[in-house]
Amino acid sequence: MSVFREFSKGIYEQNPVFKQALGLCPTLAVTNTVEGSLGMGVAATFVLLCSNLIISLIRKGVPPKIRIPIYIVVIATFVTIVDLAMAGFLPDLHKTLGIFVPLIVVNCMILGRAEAFAGKNSVGYSFVDGLGMGVGFTFALVLLGAIRELMGNGTLMGVPMLSQGFEPVLVMILPPGAFLTIGFVLAFFNWLENRKKA
Amino acid sequence: MKDIFKLGGLLLIITVVAATALAAIYNVTKPRIDAQKQLAIDNALTEALPNSPREAIEPVTRDGEVEYYLGYESMQKQDTVGFAYIARGAGYSSVVETMVGVDTTGKIIGMQVLSQQETPGLGTKIIEVKYGEKEPWFLVQFMGRPADEVKVDKDGGQIQSITGATITSRTVANSVVEGYKDLRQIVNN
Amino acid sequence: MELKALFIISISVIFINNFVFAKFLGICPYIGVSRQLDSAIGMGAAVTFVMTLASTVTWLIFNYLLAPVETNIFYNLLTLDAPPDLTFLKTIAFILVIASLVQFVEMVIQKTSPSLYKSLGIFLPLITTNCAILGVALLNIDEGYTFIQSIVHGFSAGLGFTLALVLMAGIREKLDMADIPKAFQGIPIAFIMAGLMAMAFLGFSGLKLGM
Repeated sequence: MSVFREFSKGIYEQNPVFKQALGLCPTLAVTNTVEGSLGMGVAATFVLLCSNLIISLIRKGVPPKIRIPIYIVVIATFVTIVDLAMAGFLPDLHKTLGIFVPLIVVNCMILGRAEAFAGKNSVGYSFVDGLGMGVGFTFALVLLGAIRELMGNGTLMGVPMLSQGFEPVLVMILPPGAFLTIGFVLAFFNWLENRKKA
Repeated sequence: MKDIFKLGGLLLIITVVAATALAAIYNVTKPRIDAQKQLAIDNALTEALPNSPREAIEPVTRDGEVEYYLGYESMQKQDTVGFAYIARGAGYSSVVETMVGVDTTGKIIGMQVLSQQETPGLGTKIIEVKYGEKEPWFLVQFMGRPADEVKVDKDGGQIQSITGATITSRTVANSVVEGYKDLRQIVNN
Repeated sequence: MELKALFIISISVIFINNFVFAKFLGICPYIGVSRQLDSAIGMGAAVTFVMTLASTVTWLIFNYLLAPVETNIFYNLLTLDAPPDLTFLKTIAFILVIASLVQFVEMVIQKTSPSLYKSLGIFLPLITTNCAILGVALLNIDEGYTFIQSIVHGFSAGLGFTLALVLMAGIREKLDMADIPKAFQGIPIAFIMAGLMAMAFLGFSGLKLGM
């Protein structure tokens, strides 16, 4: 196990969104702007890091039978911390992300990493794993967000990027656009994989 | 059987530890969260009643609920120069809340949308500020108009509605009128 | 009118604000279980059941244990000066309740219909992480629904989810026999289908229900 391997696998090879189809709900919901994507990505990464750390710390003392509820309590605690901190310090982002902030607790990526990795590995590796997955998640979200915001609103982070004559494809920032964008991006990554194999 | 108690007990302890940590954090963040809410109202009031310094704007309450805000000319609180109220209307996909400020003749002197969850790119254009400008162009249209008479163009009025967001536009205009009527009733009583 | 409000909540959440197509809740199981019609129906029924139960229990917990209101049990039992504000425990409390409910439903299904239990496989315990369930519980509180309204909302949201699932399964069963470009096979085409259906459901948003 190398630190670099454990970190980088989350970015592409085992990307939570594109390869593992985890955390899809927030992925579709908040990616209508790059700002929302970044905010969610960072928030989820923070929770993932903290929960991975704690769960790895207590892994030897957790009775296997109740490990899932314990993981859930740990994750829910950090999610609540993020929720409160965001409401207090970044109220606009908090309003944008809405109920998807508390919903980070059911982001299968976080519980998934706890179960698959942090519960069995050292603190150091768990941290790195969490960081890699978190960065991969954020990357996926920002990619989708950039596509949707650019095509659907002509802006990136609220700054107009395209000429005035550009008629935004409104559907891109509406729900159907979310599904379509991720469908096409997933197909693109599949195509890349197929070419590699061929 | 004993097993369940042991496991349950452990889970309970962990939950209590978590809850205690959260309680501590909540105590720290709650004042900030409340302050943010107040800040939003303060900003809206300053926008709605530009002729009154914030300290000269007072809420008028009944049974603990704020009914409207009174704007005085200055800290001396001698002359009333305006009123502010929150206009509410059912929009396309959410309730749109707007802080509206009127002068003593009933003309609109300031507006700020407090909350809305309208369709992004359409209804949300009510708060859209064009790049380089300062105020949302949709709301600017209301300035100087009588608060008991604003209507969108589709209803024969002067306010240009947002293309593709007729309902949201209409909601804002109509809620301003309704709110003003309520305000007059309360103030006259 | 009480009944009218309930009817509006119901129609709204099934068609206009469908959990899957408009609110993006419940996507993971949606993609995972919508390949066959019968497992889709089974999953939909299980989720609806859990959602309704969860709406009930979480509402009670929030309004009697957590919220700083008159009915707060701690306030009444411990004769405090003011009802304590424990709303920050909402997330933890709700998710633990949901996890327990899902365990319970799992046991019930295992006993009553082993074949359904087998076909749902890992997706059954995964209902816990179904954002739709926690989502509906949180929404009930955010929207300030009464007890009955919350139950109706939870049940209807489940129906809407089942509708989305069943529609999808019906289409995917046919899709499996179609000639799809390799890169799109499996999940990508499912998302594109969902996108087209979301577009169709967008049409419902023109429904003004006198809200």
